[in-house]
Amino acid sequence: MALFEKVAVLGFGTMGSGIAQVVAQSGRTVVVLESEQSRLEAGLAAVEAFLATGVARGKVTEEQKAAVRGRISGTTDLADLADADLVIEAVTERKDIKASVLAQVADVVRPEAVITTNTSAIPVSELATHVTGGSRFAGLHFFNPAPLMRVIEIVRGLSTDADVIARLEAFVGDLGKDPVVVKDRPGFLVNRLFMPYINDVVQAFDDELASAEDIDTAIKLGLGYKMGPLELLDLIGLDVHEHATRGAYEATLDPVFAPPPLLQTMVAAGMRGAKNGRGFRTEQNA
Amino acid sequence: MTEAVKTVAVVGAGTMGSGIATVVARGGHRTILFDVDEAAVQRGLEFVAGFLAKSVKLGKMTAEDAAGITARTSGTSDLADLAGSDIVIEAVFEDLEVKKDLFARLDDIVSERTLLHTNTSTLSVTAIASGSRHPERVVGTHYCNPAPLMALVELVDGLHTAGWAHEATAEFLGSVGKTACVVKDRPGFILNRFLIPWENSCIDALENGLGTRESIDAAVTGALGHPMGPFRLLDIVGLDVHRQVATRLYEQLKEPRFAPPPMVERMIAAGDLGRKTGRGFYTYDDTKLFGA
Repeated sequence: MALFEKVAVLGFGTMGSGIAQVVAQSGRTVVVLESEQSRLEAGLAAVEAFLATGVARGKVTEEQKAAVRGRISGTTDLADLADADLVIEAVTERKDIKASVLAQVADVVRPEAVITTNTSAIPVSELATHVTGGSRFAGLHFFNPAPLMRVIEIVRGLSTDADVIARLEAFVGDLGKDPVVVKDRPGFLVNRLFMPYINDVVQAFDDELASAEDIDTAIKLGLGYKMGPLELLDLIGLDVHEHATRGAYEATLDPVFAPPPLLQTMVAAGMRGAKNGRGFRTEQNA
Repeated sequence: MTEAVKTVAVVGAGTMGSGIATVVARGGHRTILFDVDEAAVQRGLEFVAGFLAKSVKLGKMTAEDAAGITARTSGTSDLADLAGSDIVIEAVFEDLEVKKDLFARLDDIVSERTLLHTNTSTLSVTAIASGSRHPERVVGTHYCNPAPLMALVELVDGLHTAGWAHEATAEFLGSVGKTACVVKDRPGFILNRFLIPWENSCIDALENGLGTRESIDAAVTGALGHPMGPFRLLDIVGLDVHRQVATRLYEQLKEPRFAPPPMVERMIAAGDLGRKTGRGFYTYDDTKLFGA
């Protein structure tokens, strides 16, 4: 019997749909919980669209696409999650909402079901206190877009069972991804390293070290990164990064996480990056 | 300086100098490779010839083109032979006094309109330019290693660099197929300014138990799309080189995140310099940098 044969995903937004797809591609059955039927339909459409792109590029066959799609179902009824072996929570990044959903789901699934959160910024050990049997709770942090990103962080909460971590590692390997086990600290590992770097670039840009385009070009050509830091920040969303790095700053009081003044001003001015066409590389910066 | 084909001298026939000479010669310019050590000049010219031969073999260039380039390339250990140069590119030892002294001597040899380019990576272009009586013609052009393969050059004006010198330098870099990124004369320019604290933060994360060398490398390549994880990269760069660059930046910027973390010191003390000694963050069966 496969590890975690039936997987419940909570939330069908960008992350939830990507996670549902990745899990379904490994041959597992996925049930996605949403609050409204319209959100379920939007999530399923997102999976369809992603797979259709794969078919168009010759990476996925029509049969594979149909099979993956066929393994994903949506529900608005908590009771449909009762027989899940693994729960992956991917609802809005707000502590109160996550805590409430997790508490309800923990009481519906079997006591031995493993429960995880895809949070990128909320302490896993804190969310664990809202789950009955907190030792079965861990972080499972997918990166966006989940179907394409090779790494998944497995976050060990202060009370997570070693056996749960070991099984999640095997599960991530089964998904064809690289598991990276990390401590439950602000930013975990990847964002712990990434946020100060991005903040540093924004401040240096504000200090007129070089133009945004030349900074990006130099980093890409000189270091071989796929994207320059400022075009990447536009893609992530200035508001998303500002929120995340502010959270890490509040948790650590470490100045490397402090959102640079220019970033704060741009977010306050409604500049959110690629999604509204106003960021570092999308228009001339004052 | 309006001629398309220029006479360009490269001073210093080490790894960077030989690579830059290859770039300049391949770009169609008459190239003179200088080094005080005649044997180094010969090794440098052999590097250029070897690179061209490989390019022909890979079908990137015809044998005739390669022969033409070789014919336009010469070597010397006599600085006076640089007299007719339109551009002199220095790629000597990364030491301020050595570079200043070189430019002072070149003042007496080349025309005062000859461009003096410095390939410094960590020193101030303004400080180096102060060695010349004509700092207005000194420009920073920081090439990446290996120079013949890397498109980027950081283009840096010193405090006194003239507009004409900057423009002529940008035009020259275009003529040899490089992409110039313009950056202010600040420690580390763009690349090292961001790379050094990044690598230090990864070393700190390792030392603080946030991950293993393997998991951090996997996380960085897999989640951030870098071509190589920080520890594989540091092993190739060399821990001693990393310490040198980091220390120079720290001395100028006085910000702790540029200072080499204690772990670097310990590894160097243990002789673990990276790929070249067979052990750094990882261990290696051989000490070859590329291939095999």
